[in-house]
Amino acid sequence: MASSSVVELSRWQFAITAIFHMTFPALTVGLSLLLAVAYTVYVRTGNPLYLQIFRFWKKIFAVGFGLGVVAGTVMTFEFGLNWGIYAHAVGPVIGVTIGMEVITAFFLEAGFIGIMLYGDGRVKPRTMALASWMVAAGTLLSTTWILSANSWMQDPAGYTEVDGQFQATDWGKVLLNPAFGYRFPHMLLAVLISASWFVAGISAWYLVKRRASALPFARRTLSVALGVLAILMPVQLYAGDATAVFMGGHQPAKLQAFEGNWKTDNNGYNLVVIPDTDKGENDVRIEIPHLGAVIGHDLTGRAEVPGLLQTPPDERPNMWSAFYGFRAMYFTALAMFATAFAGLVLRLRGRLFTSPRFLRWLVWMTPAGIIAITGGWITAETGRQPWVVYGRLRTADAVSHLSLTEAALSLTGFVLLYATLLTLWIRYIVRTVKAGPEPVTDLRTPAPEASVA
Amino acid sequence: MPEYLTYALVLLSLGAYVVLDGYDLGVGMLSLVDRDERRRREYNELIATAWDANESWIILAGVALWAGLPGAYATVLPGVYPPLVAMLFAVILRGMGLEFQSASGTYRRGWGLLFGGASLAVTLCQGLVIGAVLSGLPQQDGHFTGGALAWLTPYSVLCALGLVCVYLLAGAAWLQDKTEGTAHAWAGRLGRPLLGATVVAALVLGFGLEVADPQHFHFEQPLRATLFGLAVAAAAVCGAVAWYGFGRRPDWRPFAAVLGAEAAGLLALVAATAPVVVPPSLTLHEASSPHGSQVFLVVGVGLCMPFVLAYNIYAWWVFRGKFREPARQPPTATAPDDRSTDGTAEPFTPRPESRVVVIVRRTLLTLLGILLAAVSQDIFGGESTWVDPLGIALLSGTALVAWILGDRRDGRLGEYDLPGGERP
Repeated sequence: MASSSVVELSRWQFAITAIFHMTFPALTVGLSLLLAVAYTVYVRTGNPLYLQIFRFWKKIFAVGFGLGVVAGTVMTFEFGLNWGIYAHAVGPVIGVTIGMEVITAFFLEAGFIGIMLYGDGRVKPRTMALASWMVAAGTLLSTTWILSANSWMQDPAGYTEVDGQFQATDWGKVLLNPAFGYRFPHMLLAVLISASWFVAGISAWYLVKRRASALPFARRTLSVALGVLAILMPVQLYAGDATAVFMGGHQPAKLQAFEGNWKTDNNGYNLVVIPDTDKGENDVRIEIPHLGAVIGHDLTGRAEVPGLLQTPPDERPNMWSAFYGFRAMYFTALAMFATAFAGLVLRLRGRLFTSPRFLRWLVWMTPAGIIAITGGWITAETGRQPWVVYGRLRTADAVSHLSLTEAALSLTGFVLLYATLLTLWIRYIVRTVKAGPEPVTDLRTPAPEASVA
Repeated sequence: MPEYLTYALVLLSLGAYVVLDGYDLGVGMLSLVDRDERRRREYNELIATAWDANESWIILAGVALWAGLPGAYATVLPGVYPPLVAMLFAVILRGMGLEFQSASGTYRRGWGLLFGGASLAVTLCQGLVIGAVLSGLPQQDGHFTGGALAWLTPYSVLCALGLVCVYLLAGAAWLQDKTEGTAHAWAGRLGRPLLGATVVAALVLGFGLEVADPQHFHFEQPLRATLFGLAVAAAAVCGAVAWYGFGRRPDWRPFAAVLGAEAAGLLALVAATAPVVVPPSLTLHEASSPHGSQVFLVVGVGLCMPFVLAYNIYAWWVFRGKFREPARQPPTATAPDDRSTDGTAEPFTPRPESRVVVIVRRTLLTLLGILLAAVSQDIFGGESTWVDPLGIALLSGTALVAWILGDRRDGRLGEYDLPGGERP
């Protein structure tokens, strides 16, 4: 039995490494699609604008992808390093799922990324386009497998337990578990949306700065990004609501914690709470009356939102992280929805590229998607506590036989390393953006007459 | 039976990792010794095209171990926690040095040193891990039970030094294959001393294993003894070919020979120890996961493996031959840049509009936005299920139509036209 401090330190370490890792796929999945589309359009039309888009975003994608790979390597080993008991228990189920992810998705990305990034001039343009699509396919497949594995931990299905080890009885039910049907579309939309905000924000910056050589480039990518956002944001709110309703049904404690109520007597929507876990009540609560019931699909506004006291004390998640993780996601999502809607209105009025306040606001929205994804995962993972496999294996029982020193030193190392890395990465992006896309000129229709005249 | 296939899968990925990332790490370490900055950057760029794919194999090895032999995964990883975490730190630093160097366009001393130093650290840590596993880990029922320093033994330290020799040798052989000029000649000269060091290390580690490994080796079994003998003989032959090939054409020969020697060495180790996977006592059978999981893993991975090998070989083939600086296509022409010519983008002058009209329009749009957000969140789901999906379909459809129309209008207005030619 490991000491509770080793459990706490290991949880912090896993949370920090997972959030850090997630930052990169949140961008690279969507960016890989943008790159594949841009290069394909370039091959088909010969318009150098798309080559300019490909080359610029490739620079940001390459470093983000590399950091995602090394941070992902850490994740692969961390399951066994800190969570040996868990690894032994779920290896026959989750290990296999992640093994399939590595062989189908990870290898696909890694095999083609060399060609995509360094193949210019060595392979035919069509092969470059194919390699870009393969990388994009790899990132999408990877998202699918990982969500399947995580959803199984949220809502296990198709298994039996033999001597403390989970064994699959029906692989169809394990891989396509009920939670996967909700959580996968939600996450897929989320990564596409977060990459779109990133692209939109950086493109808007060039328009705000009126950088002449980058204007066609910036307008083109801004138009694509906002188009994608206007289409996907409404769908995402719907998918998110469906996920919350489903998880609320299967993990009642999670919903009780992220809605921020202790007693089941509140039909309002909490904006801010300061929970007191020991007394089981909120010290401070700011709410909008009746809205909680309305969001819970009761238009009369009377239904009460369930409270955390319904759950036995030893099965309650921490309200702080679940509540504020959810609020970070939800409030950012509302801002994203409003911005996408405003972008749609501006486009219909023909002012998308010339509205200075909107463009400046877009620059602020650059990290919006990453913030929302982080908040959402904090809710999903801390809301599942104290279970690591929901209802079956407690987190406290899953930790390896480690000394406190080992756990503390590795956690310190990861924090320092990742803080440095994040700083360097942000600095790299800022520098790349400031340097701007390399200038190109459209030479498809050289006009000798014009130069003579 | 499937546990042997799983074991083969783990060994295949581990072997592929040692063979592929071995040269990768070796080149990294060699870059520390080379003083010339241009060549250091060249080494970095050589590795940049391949390291993602090479590193994938250790991830596959780790995950296959977890899925197929969870008992071994759960015993080994906590047992070698400090060196393995240190290796992960070094892997991160190495990837960082490599990618930032590659992205910077010129040679940066800091990134170069980080790349080289981290390559050395990764190798040392891997050696410590291998040595610790071979010297045996305190264990009970598929769980690690030892202390925080169980991994530190004289044998694991020797293993770390030995692995540095092996990877340096692979790196030198690879440089002879991929470079020209000074680096090529240098790699050819380095080959034989490194090969000598590797042979010494192999002998020391081979005989040391008798002492360090707590299990008893069953060389009296004829099959085991034959396999072991054949593997050792193959390694010796490959070593001899490498010795002859260094500094001579064809340039690929030493590298191929070193790969063969590495693979044969790994086989010899397996022939000596199987079926014990974690000494002193954890066997393949005890460590393996249930039958169904193994079959799923082996069949799934087996079906994908031909494709994986095919495109990995293709990617390798694309970058075949000697290294050349990627053709930096110069910009087709230099455009007049930026701040000096700010005037090209005309400042926007809004039409004069009545204040009241603006306020009313914004209020209505805000209300519409709130209504649409409410619809998107399935507010009417409690009343009837069709209202909200239909509303979202209409909203997204409108957005799609507006996007296509707006985008085409902007295209006609020339918003996306590059400076230069006229559009046809």
